[in-house]
Amino acid sequence: MPASMMQHSLDGVMGLTGVRAGAQRRWQKTGWPDHRAEQWRFTRLSGLQKVDLRFAESAAITAENQEFSAAMPDNAAFLSFSNGVFDQASLDNLPKGVKASLLDGDEATLLALSELVPQSHPISDLSLAAMTSGIHLEISGAVEIPIVLAFTGDDNSLSAHPVVSIKINDGASVVISEWHRSNVGLSAPLMAIEVGKKARLDYAKVQQDSAASTHLSATGLKLGDDSIFDGFQISVGGKLARLETHITLAGENADCTLSAIYLGRSSQHHDITTNMNHLKGHCLSNQVIRGVLDDKARGVFQGKVHVAPDAQKTDGQQMSRVLLLSRKAEADAKPELEIYADDVLCAHGATIGELDETQLFYLASRGIDGQTARGMLISAFLDDAIDSIKHDGLSAMLRPITTAWMTAVDLNSDGEL
Amino acid sequence: MAPLLEIKDLHASVGDTPILKGIDLIINTGEIHAIMGPNGSGKSTMSYVLAGRDGYEVTGGDILMNGESLLEMEADERARAGMFLAFQYPVELPGVGGMSFLRAAVNARRIDAGEKEVDQLEFVKMVRAKAKHLNINDDMLKRAVNVGFSGGEKKRYEILQMALLEPALSVLDETDSGLDVDALKVVSEGVNLLRDPQRSMLVITHYQRLLNHIVPDYVHILAGGKIRRSGGKELALEVEESGYAGINDAA
Ligand SMILES: Nc1ncnc2c1ncn2[C@@H]1O[C@H](COP(=O)(O)OP(=O)(O)OP(=O)(O)O)[C@@H](O)[C@H]1O
Ligand SMILES: [Mg+2]
Repeated sequence: MPASMMQHSLDGVMGLTGVRAGAQRRWQKTGWPDHRAEQWRFTRLSGLQKVDLRFAESAAITAENQEFSAAMPDNAAFLSFSNGVFDQASLDNLPKGVKASLLDGDEATLLALSELVPQSHPISDLSLAAMTSGIHLEISGAVEIPIVLAFTGDDNSLSAHPVVSIKINDGASVVISEWHRSNVGLSAPLMAIEVGKKARLDYAKVQQDSAASTHLSATGLKLGDDSIFDGFQISVGGKLARLETHITLAGENADCTLSAIYLGRSSQHHDITTNMNHLKGHCLSNQVIRGVLDDKARGVFQGKVHVAPDAQKTDGQQMSRVLLLSRKAEADAKPELEIYADDVLCAHGATIGELDETQLFYLASRGIDGQTARGMLISAFLDDAIDSIKHDGLSAMLRPITTAWMTAVDLNSDGEL
Repeated sequence: MAPLLEIKDLHASVGDTPILKGIDLIINTGEIHAIMGPNGSGKSTMSYVLAGRDGYEVTGGDILMNGESLLEMEADERARAGMFLAFQYPVELPGVGGMSFLRAAVNARRIDAGEKEVDQLEFVKMVRAKAKHLNINDDMLKRAVNVGFSGGEKKRYEILQMALLEPALSVLDETDSGLDVDALKVVSEGVNLLRDPQRSMLVITHYQRLLNHIVPDYVHILAGGKIRRSGGKELALEVEESGYAGINDAA
């Protein structure tokens, strides 16, 4: 393994058995991908800090955590992770219809999880082996209260490897938000979600880690017959963030949305990577991706839509648009369609542009100052993605994040730093 | 008292191309001036230079509003100081809601003047009342700015903005083009409602017809980047009859 970056030899992790031992072996063999790995061509990990990150052992609920909780929707049930370690006291918060258990030693669930998460992915192996805490949630019926998986942290010499497995039983429905506000060296959550037949998941992931953190996540989803997944991701924090999601449409008639926004400034790097795998017919997948990059920030979208021979009548849509606010900002988009069925409706597209000078002048000619005008046009641009969210509570939760980003510092007006 | 607008030997270029080649014009408070001139003579360029559009570079002369130079002011500052441009081609803003756009514009001016922001409900009432005069319905008000509006609707929406902003100086760039007879009347009435001893207008048009409705105090002919002739409203009639042939570029 390349020794240049975070040293996660896992040699110190002893006594693993079963699935986790397998993950440890794979990790020790492959380690971090280097620049030759096609999937990591645009997001290179070699620049990461060389510090030897440690794993946290117990959750410390800091003042910052409480402040964070205060910022969250107040009718939600919180499951808190601090420095990657699950706070068991938060189990008291569970609403009706949610059963929680710890993953430690639950070999059957770990095995199922390992098959759902992205395969041959460094985080799948590393976080499974190094798992700082793991929980399993089983959802039955219609859960009325949104569940917030809250990830915080206050020590950037630590590496956080929370693992969450969620099984949504047939016909069940739930709203889950995964909210990251950690200040750790590496935040590497591993998620596996199975949405059963006729089940529904409304889901939003918010990545607001601290400016010094690296966020590398791997999420795997499997959708059953007639299920609905309405998912959204927003990446604003971190120094380098890659949110990777693999979805398998394993049943017929599944309806899947996975939209995303990334907002980058200074020298941030955001990567949204998706893999939409249509195995069965009559499924719908829709991805609306919007990126806004200021200063020297970089953005990457890699989106693969795979349609298997049996997946007739697939409707797979994907559209990525990026706004560059500065001449030094840079975006890459790599949409890929791989279609092996003949009766499908698939389309993808990617554009990279700037704010329209004529539109800015029109707003200015009405007395609207430059900062406000740019904010109005950026909001309009992002709304395409936010409008794809069907759950009102989730979109209401996300809008203030984009607004806060726009008002945080001056948006570049002339592309110069 | 200084005139509302004083343009002194104004030269301006777009890119490296000189377009305005020495314009002199004085507009006093309360006056309506019309500018006519052949296609490509620099009318829109002049309107953009007045409004302060980036890329329209003033290479000589000055523009004074109430005795103060506008040249160092950005477009938004000029607008808040009382300048308004009704665009020849109004700009579509997909995703920007009409009402929030109108409110942002009105509030920008109010905040600058040290006034309170408009109350949301009161604002809706005010917009509806003014929109009614211009035959603008609620559906148009709800849509994104200018998106899906017909040519004539866009022009009426410009006048609605003018009515809400109550500018000291309005520059109307071919607000009459693309309007049918009835819309022309509606728009003219809208403009005339704003006629006021405190307000001035610069009306750019190709057609004498508009000037029957909005009767100007002065008419100027712009050709080749300069004002070639100035006169009263009868000058517009003369142009209508004999075209610009009689106007010598070298005059
Ligand atoms: N962005 C630009 N780059 C280069 N030349 C330009 C630009 N904008 C305008 N011009 C030129 O400046 C000249 C004046 O154009 P302008 O639009 O001001 O004319 P106008 O009098 O408004 O014409 P019309 O009656 O057709 O509206 C034209 O020759 C035009 O081609
Ligand atoms: Mg013109």
